[in-house]
Amino acid sequence: MRDKKYITFALAKGRLAKHTLGLLEKIGITCEEMKDKDTRRLIFVNEELGFKFFLSKATDVPTYVELGAADIGVVGRDTILEEGRKLYEVLDLNFGKCRMCVAGPASAKKQLNNGSLIRVASKYPSIAKDYFYNYKHQTAEIIKLNGSVELAPIVGLSEVIVDIVETGSTLKENGLEVLEEICPLSARMVVNEVSMKMQHERITKLIYDLKKVISE
Amino acid sequence: MNKYFEWDSVSSEILHTPGGVKDTYGADCENKLKVQYAVRGVLNSYGFRDIQTPTFEYFDVFNKERGTVASKEMFKFFDRGNNTLVLRPDMTPPIARCVAKYYRDEDMQLRLCYIANTFVNTGKYKGKLQEVTQVGAELYNDDSSDADAEMVALTVECLLKSGLTDFQIEVGHADFFCGLVEEAGLSEFEAANLRELIESKNFFGVEDILTNNAAEDKLSVSENLKEIFLKLPEMIGELDEFTEFVKMRSKNERVINALDRLKKVEEIIKVYGFSDYVTMDLSMLSNYSYYTGIIFKAYTYGTGEAVATGGRYDGLAGQFGKDANGIGLAIVIDHLMLAMSRQNLLDNDVIKGIILVYPQEFRAAAIKKAEKMRKEGSFIQLIRKSSHKQADDYKEYAKRMNIEEVLIMESEDKVEKLV
Repeated sequence: MRDKKYITFALAKGRLAKHTLGLLEKIGITCEEMKDKDTRRLIFVNEELGFKFFLSKATDVPTYVELGAADIGVVGRDTILEEGRKLYEVLDLNFGKCRMCVAGPASAKKQLNNGSLIRVASKYPSIAKDYFYNYKHQTAEIIKLNGSVELAPIVGLSEVIVDIVETGSTLKENGLEVLEEICPLSARMVVNEVSMKMQHERITKLIYDLKKVISE
Repeated sequence: MNKYFEWDSVSSEILHTPGGVKDTYGADCENKLKVQYAVRGVLNSYGFRDIQTPTFEYFDVFNKERGTVASKEMFKFFDRGNNTLVLRPDMTPPIARCVAKYYRDEDMQLRLCYIANTFVNTGKYKGKLQEVTQVGAELYNDDSSDADAEMVALTVECLLKSGLTDFQIEVGHADFFCGLVEEAGLSEFEAANLRELIESKNFFGVEDILTNNAAEDKLSVSENLKEIFLKLPEMIGELDEFTEFVKMRSKNERVINALDRLKKVEEIIKVYGFSDYVTMDLSMLSNYSYYTGIIFKAYTYGTGEAVATGGRYDGLAGQFGKDANGIGLAIVIDHLMLAMSRQNLLDNDVIKGIILVYPQEFRAAAIKKAEKMRKEGSFIQLIRKSSHKQADDYKEYAKRMNIEEVLIMESEDKVEKLV
């Protein structure tokens, strides 16, 4: 049985997790165990305060939270949109800011505007499909890739890509540019629907405290 | 040879069930049936009468405003006349159809209940069941607040009788949000946008489109309504406090009526003595357009989804040609069982069986003995003693099968206890 005295956090590995732990520390929630860099443990516990933490691949965070294996998750909005899980998206953590964009060589602009069939490579097929079909009303052939998406237009796999753009320097170096902006992104705190009800007081307080720290 | 390991690939393929459906057996199955019947017993005791409808029906029965499941999430197939059929995703529309068909002229209370499996095509690898058992009740032709409160109280009692102790039922009103949207004069698109944000408790998003001038899709809403929308996430619990807050800011009839109705329902639930299990939540929305009155959901630890849902749908029977209001509840047994097993609330031996082994020569005596014990309420499994098996084999077998007692016929009138 999952003990109800714990609130379990699923954190997306990497920068987001580090940043989140920093924020949590500011409101008095610490996890010493997690600071040990050599540890191979997967789950960390703060017995005193009743919190558990684990790190997972970003794309899995919404799954853990939707199915209730974690009460709270911290993950980028890109992942939330792509996974389309039923979650409460309660807080904008205001870091990890970037944009979801359509990018490609400047010459592809024409094809984006004339409504012809266009090939789109992306790590985010759902977002790409939603944008082209429901927003732009353009028929697109979506090609799912798992990394280095910038390659696709260069080697002729697709005309454009849909990807996260932070500074745009990778694009520039490869002769690509942002052609259209889909939406702004940042790290979000998500909460399981049932946890939000069953642990309402603790989670609301957490949100409230974090909100205060973020706006400072 | 199999790709991964040496295994007869033909037999392994037909041994599996497709993703999202499962076999239920042993103690799990006994526990599930016990809970199902306990819940049904409660429903019957409140005057609900059983009804069964077909497992598949015409697609149109469940489509659009008549259903709770999106078209692409239904299991569809065609009959010989090329009509689209679906495995029922939800029991409320078929029962509304039955009410319109069999009780066309009845204008007083109709109480119907069911045990049924429902099917939702959620897609692969989502970790969700695509077939679940629901036990539910529908109450027609009573639009009083008493009926509302009774259905909430009934949900509490069903969950208590199934053995759950720690749960919360959240009650909201579908018209509350609709009234606010109406008063704010939002377009359908804007309202959908706002609904989606509130639905996912994305209140920074709500704040953004209400107050942030830079936001592209900013809504123009009066200050008073803005304050209500922004306070929605806190409107859980003390109904009186929020009622005052809202009534000072909104004059919309639907909003006021929704608040008054919730107040009455709260009072009546108090009479049932179930106030501790129930919380009023004004931020609760329904994503189904068929709900028109109170809506409620029951939550507990150990499962990521609600274990029971319900609400009032006064327009549904009208879709089938009968002008009748209705309110329903459904307990999702599979979610409930998951929660109960994680909360260690289930017995391992729901059925306490007894094995009676008899040598061929004492057959008549054994059958007679078994008959007598069954009449007394025991669960007797008869086994003719095999010449290849020893007493220990039967003891071991009983252990494997989770059966506590093994008896053996020693003579015409003597039964010895092995275990």
